[in-house]
Amino acid sequence: MPDNSDMTPLPTGEGRLQAFAKEHASQASKNAAAAVGPYVLALLMVALVWQLAIVALDPPSTILPSLGKVAGTFFEELFSGELLVNAGVSLARVATAWLISGVIGIPLGVLIARNGMAERLIDPVIELFRPISPLAWIPLAILWFGIGEAGKVFIIFIATFFPIVLNTVDGIKRVDPVLLRAGQVLGCTNSAELFFRVMLPAALPSILVGLRVSFGTGWAAIIAAELVAANSGLGYLIADGMEILRSDLVMVGMIAIGIIGVLVDALFKALAKRIA
Amino acid sequence: MEMTQIAANGKPGTPTSADAAIEITRVSKQFHDGEGGVVEALRSTSLTIGQGDFIAVVGPSGCGKSTLLNMLGGFDTPSSGNILVENEPVEGPDIERGMVFQDYALFPWLSVLDNVMFGLRKTHSKEDARATAMKWLDLVGLKDFAKKHPKHLSGGMKQRVAIARTFATDPKVILMDEPFGALDALTRRFLQQQLLKIWSEHRKTVVFITHSVQEAVYLANRVVVMTARPGRVKLDQKIDLPYPRTITAPEFRDIETRVFEALDEELAKTFAVEGSDAYAD
Repeated sequence: MPDNSDMTPLPTGEGRLQAFAKEHASQASKNAAAAVGPYVLALLMVALVWQLAIVALDPPSTILPSLGKVAGTFFEELFSGELLVNAGVSLARVATAWLISGVIGIPLGVLIARNGMAERLIDPVIELFRPISPLAWIPLAILWFGIGEAGKVFIIFIATFFPIVLNTVDGIKRVDPVLLRAGQVLGCTNSAELFFRVMLPAALPSILVGLRVSFGTGWAAIIAAELVAANSGLGYLIADGMEILRSDLVMVGMIAIGIIGVLVDALFKALAKRIA
Repeated sequence: MEMTQIAANGKPGTPTSADAAIEITRVSKQFHDGEGGVVEALRSTSLTIGQGDFIAVVGPSGCGKSTLLNMLGGFDTPSSGNILVENEPVEGPDIERGMVFQDYALFPWLSVLDNVMFGLRKTHSKEDARATAMKWLDLVGLKDFAKKHPKHLSGGMKQRVAIARTFATDPKVILMDEPFGALDALTRRFLQQQLLKIWSEHRKTVVFITHSVQEAVYLANRVVVMTARPGRVKLDQKIDLPYPRTITAPEFRDIETRVFEALDEELAKTFAVEGSDAYAD
């Protein structure tokens, strides 16, 4: 019964979305509409299939809750602060490890790109370790660090490290040599000056891509790590939901992961656009 | 008449205008071709360039004219012989030898103004650098584009920014490597006129590499034709025609013809050797 009452606001919600999309298309630039449109359409299609499945299969709500119930739980968790706290914990873990990766990975990438000896030494090591999924490190991380913060940070470090290093190497190597020459005839007299005034800014867009992509891979990995061994975070929320047979809670966790992932990615893209 | 302005431009202690700005003495250059062979790009080339001269260098593809320019810029060293700029040997790139590149080489992350200010940061205060950069942007007619980024500019505008950026640092010598090669004919003509105007007002020693004989004769007061590889000086043609020059005038045509004749002989050699796509202009 509560399912039904929760379901009523849905169509109006959908209608609002559509109206919003239409309004957007007419008022704002066509670019913005083109960017948002596909997402709205995708959401509507997911909602449609979801509701069709419920109508056709009539599953118990522990297996597949209604859209309305999930929405209800979502706002419940949101307003209780539970969702935000767990999302914050997960984000903080990713951010910490990601920063460590950046601090180590960017200088290392520069070294590999500029020093042939370093490239020959380090490249094979990277190529050996890169194909190993960060998730495969979870058991070792638990053995080495227990289920505390360090283990999680370690796994995210593994997940974020390679995209940062590889994009930095690529960015530095692709710097147009003529820009370096221009820098030299415009007064960059030593290699440090040339590096900071020309090479690094020229490689920055590529380095930012590495930072953006790695945040995504780190964000995907933290959930897995928290599923296995944690007592807080979005992964933990999901694992907890499973244990107490609350599929709506599981879905709320998943939705939060998706929303935060898209938002962070959009933030990076906006930042990269401003810089480049 | 313009020659007298140079003395006024000369700094205390520097030689008089009769002295050479650039002295290239028996310079040769060989490259390894990467397959164990050696390519001789330049053979015992000597050239003396006076203060405030505008030298245009033309020659068949692969005649070593870019090699020569790179050595003047300090990006490459001669295999033998030596190069003096303002009586000093060239040791690596230097802000005293400005360079304008064919593909502009503007820094895409900097605004037009910041591009022009790039070379001024170390020697000028921020306000000074800004004022100087704006002056030069004004001279090339791009004052209104100071805040724009290079990606919003056309090719001709980018090259004008690059020219402003180079002249702003007040180098002793300006090296230009086919600077207008990528531009359409009309833009090219406009930039040639603008460059001549700047050069007549701020007399610099210019070494200008080009594929176009007409461009060379239109701009330079001396045209150097290089031989086919290995490059040497084939023809050293002074041009005393007053500026602005008329490309349809008989005197202009005469000089153009002389340069073309010298070039044609070398082209014939290049074709005989390669039987391929080498051409100039």
